[in-house]
Amino acid sequence: MGLLSKKDAKLITDPLADNNPITIQVLGICSALAITAELKASLVMAIAVLFVMGVGNVVISLIRNLIPSKIRIIVQLIVVASLVIIVDQVLKAYAYELSKTLSVFVGLIITNCIIMGRFEAFALGNGPWRAFLDGIGNAVGYGVILIIVGFFRELLGSGTLFGIPVLGDAIEKTGLYSTGYENNGFMLMPPMALIIVGLLIWVQRSRNKDLIED
Amino acid sequence: MEKRTDKNGYTIIFAIIMVVVVGSLLAFTASSLKPNIAENERIEKQQNILYALGVNDNEGDGDITFVSTKEVAALFKTKVSEQLVLESKDGKIIKTMTRQEFMDANNGKEPYLIDVKKQQANAKAGESRLLPLFVGQSKDGETQYVAPIRGKGLWDAIWGYVAVDKDMIVRGAFFDHAAETPGLGANIKQRYFMDDFDGEHLLTDAGVFKGIKVAKGNADPKNMDKTDYEVDALAGATITGDGVSAMIKADFKLYMPYFQNLKKVN
Amino acid sequence: MIEHIELFFKAIFIDNMVFAVFLGMCSYLAVSKKVTTAVGLGAAVIFVLAITVPLNWLLDQYLLQPGALIWLGPEYADYDLGFLSFIMFIATIATMVQLVEIVVEKFSPSLYNSLGIFLPLIAVNCAILGGSLFMQSREIETLGLALNYGVSSGIGWFLAILAIAAIREKIRYSNVPAPLRGLGITFIITGLMGIGFLSFGGMLTGGDEEIVEEEKTVEVQQTTEDNKELANNTKIIE
Repeated sequence: MGLLSKKDAKLITDPLADNNPITIQVLGICSALAITAELKASLVMAIAVLFVMGVGNVVISLIRNLIPSKIRIIVQLIVVASLVIIVDQVLKAYAYELSKTLSVFVGLIITNCIIMGRFEAFALGNGPWRAFLDGIGNAVGYGVILIIVGFFRELLGSGTLFGIPVLGDAIEKTGLYSTGYENNGFMLMPPMALIIVGLLIWVQRSRNKDLIED
Repeated sequence: MEKRTDKNGYTIIFAIIMVVVVGSLLAFTASSLKPNIAENERIEKQQNILYALGVNDNEGDGDITFVSTKEVAALFKTKVSEQLVLESKDGKIIKTMTRQEFMDANNGKEPYLIDVKKQQANAKAGESRLLPLFVGQSKDGETQYVAPIRGKGLWDAIWGYVAVDKDMIVRGAFFDHAAETPGLGANIKQRYFMDDFDGEHLLTDAGVFKGIKVAKGNADPKNMDKTDYEVDALAGATITGDGVSAMIKADFKLYMPYFQNLKKVN
Repeated sequence: MIEHIELFFKAIFIDNMVFAVFLGMCSYLAVSKKVTTAVGLGAAVIFVLAITVPLNWLLDQYLLQPGALIWLGPEYADYDLGFLSFIMFIATIATMVQLVEIVVEKFSPSLYNSLGIFLPLIAVNCAILGGSLFMQSREIETLGLALNYGVSSGIGWFLAILAIAAIREKIRYSNVPAPLRGLGITFIITGLMGIGFLSFGGMLTGGDEEIVEEEKTVEVQQTTEDNKELANNTKIIE
């Protein structure tokens, strides 16, 4: 990458694996549990977070020297909340269908600790360009986990991907269902998301022994 | 050494500036976009009512498809022949207004724009509640009555429009939600859930209001029995499903006197 | 009194913030390595919930609900500021968390250091905002009940983090596969505990039993005059 120095490129690639926000930093778990029963919702959430993190990190980084430390939490939350609300209003006015799909996520984005976590840990101490890269990198790392979990939960829970049946018809007993296979409705419950993330951590840490705790 | 940004005076000034800037920004976007948003919401309400009437662009078993935004105004005019407003108090209907009467009394406000949430609040405060009832023709020309209902899901509000015929047998249903869990509670907006309500009876043969229960593990997953007052629940969405049962029961019941009368008249 | 007791147990067990609705997960997973830190954070969460839920209840009653502004005068009855609930709730919460942070830093620097980034993150701990939003959507009726709800859902969260911290201290002596040690096994244990807590769900809905009394529907009496008018109007549209 000619545009990015090596140090900058690391800001993007690190959160994808070795410093993943979900599996290593433990940020943004609630949303990963709440919306991953469906692949489509996972994808939408990943894109929305990408946008909010990119812009939010830049804004916070730009005003980082002005923010009084005593009220910095309030300032950060107000930046995210107003950003999300303004985008929501604009979408409601000009892309109503899209805004209906996204309205579910508004609350989840505002309270997503991944956003606040990166504000606190990075944007408050770095310049706008680096903060932007950090935001993008972390959002992508977050999105990747979301999509993997969403893939397994929807496939095993409802037998569909993006709402399209891929394993045959569960009621008419065609495709895989004719062999006696049944959807595991349990996969749709939030506890299963926890267990899938746990298994992902297992896979990740067996591949990279440096990450193993104690 | 204390930084400049740690001083109390600076903090207070910063807070004031921030409140003013953010407040005016939010107020500006909200007020400048309001007409567009109101228009979009108006179109959505018309689309929803038409959807419950069976006037929609659904194809096969696919997703829900509303009539297009271009056609909706014209279709709403032709398909919805009357918008009644029933004034209800303590379970009785004390007054019935036609669309014209209601508009004359309310500066030309169309009855379908009545805010159900506000009317529910009125009823709770002991005042009378306005119940809009849309009379229209379905695709096959049958006269149907569409009523808006509203209730609570797991996270936030859920609402819907239910079309019934004169015997209070459900002919179509549309449900929507503000923020139910995608893949779980949010599936009340899926066709396989809504279509299940088609043909379900709300009244017993004796004319007692029973409502429709969203029941888990009922013995009738393909929903062949239309008089069991049950439809199949969604996996992992008990609270949202209970919310749907509850709002049908609470809100639709208020319309019952009207239908009893309809029977007497005929 | 009985509704206080009911709400108390419901918020702690049946609607447990962690195991039933899966809120407040990030700090729950990250700060549960040691029982002492877990207790500190748990106490902070109880405290913040106990203050923000009643405060937000007041905001909701006198500012946000449709018609809530009526105390300003009858001409304000039509305003509905509901769209502001998110930002108002969040602002209240952020203020309280900032206060807690200042207090903890002053009086318990060791707790402050061990909580690290997760102290400011209480502000976005979804359990806290969730508490206020549930309070709003479940239409909790009095200030007392709101306080009760805040405290008891905080206790529910506290008990959950205490349980997982205790398990994590014990599990160090077990033979967990190396890559799963620490965070991985915590995720899986939490998942299993969540499955266990699903069994409380039946208590919430009262199981499958039919409620018998709802069968007898009161026949709605309409006066003759109403009937006449109704009949007239009904005819118009036939």
